[in-house]
Amino acid sequence: MSTRSHDDLVALLSRRQVLARASTLALGLVALPPVSLSLPISPPSTGLSLSDATLQAFADTMLPGCRVDRTDLGNPIDPLAIAGVDPLPGAVQADALAVSHHPEVGFDPLAPGFLSDLEARSLPRGGDFLHLDFASRVQVCLDGLDFSNPSRTLWELGAAIAFIAFCAAPLIRNATASEACGYRVMGLPGVAPNGYGDYSYGLQLSTERTPAGSLP
Amino acid sequence: MTQRADVVIVGSGFGGSITAWRLAELYVAAGVDPSAIVVLERGRRYGHTDFRQSMDIDHLSDIYLLIEGQGAEVVTANAVGGGSNLYLAASLRSPHETFERRDRRPDDGPTRRMWPEAISRRVLDPYYARAERGLRVSQPTWDQVSKSGGLWAASLNAAGHTCDRVPLAISTQRCVNAKWCHTGCIFGAKNSLITNYLWAAENAGVQVLPNLQVELITQSTARPYRYVVQADVMDNEGSSPTRAPTGQQVQIECKVLVVSAGAMATPPLMLRSRPFLPAMSAQVGRNLGVNGDHVAAIEFDDAKVRSVLGLPGYDEFYKGKPITTMSYDWWVGRSGHAYDGTRFTLQEIFLSTLTNFLYDSGRTVPGGPSFWGLQKKQAVAHWANRIELLAMVEDTNDGTFLAPPPAGAAVRPDPGPIAVGTFDYALSDQSIAVRAAANDAIQKVAANQGLGLFMPLTETQGVYCAHPLGGCRMADSPDLGVVDDTGSVYGYEALYCIDGSIVPTSLGVNPSLTISAVTERCAERLVSRGADFGLPAKPAGFRPRVPPEHIGPRVVPSPS
Repeated sequence: MSTRSHDDLVALLSRRQVLARASTLALGLVALPPVSLSLPISPPSTGLSLSDATLQAFADTMLPGCRVDRTDLGNPIDPLAIAGVDPLPGAVQADALAVSHHPEVGFDPLAPGFLSDLEARSLPRGGDFLHLDFASRVQVCLDGLDFSNPSRTLWELGAAIAFIAFCAAPLIRNATASEACGYRVMGLPGVAPNGYGDYSYGLQLSTERTPAGSLP
Repeated sequence: MTQRADVVIVGSGFGGSITAWRLAELYVAAGVDPSAIVVLERGRRYGHTDFRQSMDIDHLSDIYLLIEGQGAEVVTANAVGGGSNLYLAASLRSPHETFERRDRRPDDGPTRRMWPEAISRRVLDPYYARAERGLRVSQPTWDQVSKSGGLWAASLNAAGHTCDRVPLAISTQRCVNAKWCHTGCIFGAKNSLITNYLWAAENAGVQVLPNLQVELITQSTARPYRYVVQADVMDNEGSSPTRAPTGQQVQIECKVLVVSAGAMATPPLMLRSRPFLPAMSAQVGRNLGVNGDHVAAIEFDDAKVRSVLGLPGYDEFYKGKPITTMSYDWWVGRSGHAYDGTRFTLQEIFLSTLTNFLYDSGRTVPGGPSFWGLQKKQAVAHWANRIELLAMVEDTNDGTFLAPPPAGAAVRPDPGPIAVGTFDYALSDQSIAVRAAANDAIQKVAANQGLGLFMPLTETQGVYCAHPLGGCRMADSPDLGVVDDTGSVYGYEALYCIDGSIVPTSLGVNPSLTISAVTERCAERLVSRGADFGLPAKPAGFRPRVPPEHIGPRVVPSPS
């Protein structure tokens, strides 16, 4: 480990210890600078910042997907972000990064603190999060989402963004399965302007206790 | 400049809308203009055609507010019509045992009946019936039960249990079974308040003013006016609303004030106003509950659905109505006080695709991720084979509001749908134990003959709730509650809280109908006492009527 990296790690661990003593609220991490800016990593060629590439890698760890180079909305994907451990589309393809930047999601002010904690937990496992293999990324996230982590709430928010992007298609108005990869994977058609005629088995499938539904 | 009204009603959900209609009837019967009744709503106005079958963030930010406190996340509504725009329309009477319960948090006073002595199921039955007529509640036939609900019924039956059809406030003639109730029904099929009580009140002349968030209540000395409400004008309209106060304020002086802002907004408002209402009970802001909400899911094995249940498979979670069946088997037969705090019901429910986040994968290996990761992705890929279950358990009301936020019900840092609530929620031992019992019951039904995988609520701490109750609960004395059994605030004449905040216990059923029945009873008392407060006297022969229905413009399905 280089002196610079070692010093960075020590500084980060100190910050985490302070945080652990000071607060269990993730909002306290807002004041921390983003450690990724100081790591000796070349910027990726997609035009994405390292922070954005790392957020994509985190989203892929939460809901993994197949490798693609563009999202549903046509946004770029860092070539290292998707580990490719699942054959179906995942949260990155579902525009988790764009969701994280949406002003109504409110994650941008929290992202530096989150990334600081993420990278601090990644360094002991071999490097920055983006360059870890999938199994190591999983271990980092198990650490971060452990209840002993005082900033767990922030990690949960990051995880929630991946799920929101995938399961709700929040950037597509009146989404359908043809537009939203998460809907396709789940088997949700999306808008149903005519509803469904075949929604019931049409059979009494249990005995009942009451004639009118409510207990006396 | 201060405006004046006879009655100000804060909030347009079930409590506010029903009260508005009943007062409007009084005014009309007495030959007085009902425009002296004013309903203030923090959210904007919607018609059916404004809703969307979409979870795009702009729509969610408009209609929802998810309030995150310490230990609980609570979903609330944000529009004219309140929670009725988003509810799933299950409309059940709470069982007799609910009103007799004595279980409570260990620090919550002496052993007693938790509901006021004046209220029992028998007493509420006429008001339940009145609310059912107003909301047009009916029980679906088995032909109208969703496949997901039918699957739950069949699974229970295979495990030796019973399952009932759930009464719904949905027009089966207009419903097209698209399961998009949770973002507002575009078909006008869901009997929300904008189709009945609130529409009827406004049509009779009541003023409904959207985009006004009441921040403070003070007392007036200009009799017969008693209270002054201060409201912020909210920036909710246009293409980029901030959903925050604009800086403009409105003041309205009134003879009668009814606070019906819901269990997440009424207690903070009352706490913020306490310096100006110093005789208010010390119980204000305490005993917030979540109606015992506890969710889980089952992922079904399609082959077992065919071979064990004899059904033609299942991969259509997204079709039908969101709630159609539930079981009372863990309630019935437990009628004595010895069982208080142990009962629960199990209801099949479709919350939304977003709730994927809440469940473990059902495939978790020791030491591995539970609610995220590769196994969770595989679970999500089987989402259409799933049903969700809402256990409504007899828990205790474990929440406490702390210092109220400077404005509104919670701190909203941006225009998005998430806000930070100033309350904490620490589950009691009873609340934990009864949830564990519900989990065990669901798990056994799922595991029976290998039907499916049980997917418990993940280890993420805290409770998730769409049914907040309490915080200004009713009780027989001010040392135990904020209001009496009629919703009248102890210590203050003509000041009422009438909404879910006064309901003192979890209910075992979805709460909208009980809030409605309690409101009908409170409103009846208010109408009878109106003349004491300077409102019109009740004319001889006055009888409450069923509010007329108005569907309005609606999306008509194309022939397929």
